[in-house]
Amino acid sequence: MTMTVAPRTGHYLDRPSPSGLADVLDLILDKGLVIDVYVRVSLVGIELITIDARIVIASVDTYLRFAEAVNRLDLKQDRTEGLPELMDDMRQGGARRKTRGALEGVKETVGEVIDQVRGRGGEDEDEEEEPQERPRRRPRSSGERRERER
Amino acid sequence: MNRDTPAAGDTGAACYVYGIVPADAAAPTGVRGVGTPPAAVDLLPGGRVAALVSEVDPTKPLGTPDDLRAHARVLDSVVSALVPVLPFRFGSVVDGRRAVADELLGPSEEGFATALASLRGLAQYTLRGSYVEVRVLRDVLAARPDIAALRERTASLPEDTGHYDRLRLGELVAREIGDRGEADVRHLVDTLGPLAVAVARGPDPDPDQPIDVSFLVHHTRWARFEAEAEDLARGWSGRVGIRLLGPLAPYDFAPTAVDGASEGVPGPWV
Repeated sequence: MTMTVAPRTGHYLDRPSPSGLADVLDLILDKGLVIDVYVRVSLVGIELITIDARIVIASVDTYLRFAEAVNRLDLKQDRTEGLPELMDDMRQGGARRKTRGALEGVKETVGEVIDQVRGRGGEDEDEEEEPQERPRRRPRSSGERRERER
Repeated sequence: MNRDTPAAGDTGAACYVYGIVPADAAAPTGVRGVGTPPAAVDLLPGGRVAALVSEVDPTKPLGTPDDLRAHARVLDSVVSALVPVLPFRFGSVVDGRRAVADELLGPSEEGFATALASLRGLAQYTLRGSYVEVRVLRDVLAARPDIAALRERTASLPEDTGHYDRLRLGELVAREIGDRGEADVRHLVDTLGPLAVAVARGPDPDPDQPIDVSFLVHHTRWARFEAEAEDLARGWSGRVGIRLLGPLAPYDFAPTAVDGASEGVPGPWV
């Protein structure tokens, strides 16, 4: 951080530091410069074992998940009830994880892995999560990736 | 392969390239790169620009969570020190230091230098948000009597006969959430856009993360941008959980800057 940045006094904005892995993933896998778009360069086809952040959970699953969530709602509950608790969670950056948890019901394994990664927020839990991620990884050479992008 | 006539300091090892910075940038200190164990990051100059590189063993796969974070950390730390950077995608590995200088920097020096000049003093902020589920679902049911009615109907149907109705219910809910996301994104862009020189929307509408917008912001406005983002988050509290990433390397804007430079445009936002 530099001196130009104001002290982080905010309580409503979640500012994960370091960034959550899911946030890092799509910034550095989907964005930024593709090295050989501009020049012919001797690339080394290194094996990449990253989780494919572009896996999209099939919309059918998404729809069923929302249907289940909306059916579970208890409409008799007073609307304002529970709100202070939610806001407390949010100040601690917990609301998102809570949301994720509630949505997880019908999801497939792929979705679960993405959720684990996404739900991780700012915490650094590599050691304990790595074994769970491993089976989901797909070997993919940078050569294959370039082909797909053309 | 130029291994029989290696450049000065060329050990023959493959070079992991994080990005491009101006040649007068200071070498990063105290930031470790990708690989196990993490490699030291240094600068490989070529004319007016330099590549941020580290040695990498090409026989070992890359992509552990530590590798991914290291790539982002190297780039983001450069921008935080007010040095412009063109970030490369994760996994860009070139065949040795000589190839970086001769094949990557040499032919593109002018374009990279122009793109870097257009990004001077700028960093990316990314705002991502998702709805507090219980709240958004209640709001959707209150605003859409048709969805509320379908919900009543599917609730009374047995598991095996109600499949398509449930699918339809979920689709309507997801779409309504998507529409609400659109409206919130417009508000976000209207509020924070004036503080940025460029704005980029996230890829696809995703009902699980309806808000995903990136802003390119000059460092003299970082503090104000952060304060206004905080105000916006306060206004949305209880309804939208929102996170702010940054200052980051300009992941969303570097390709535009380089494309503009190659066409003689000094950055579309200048």
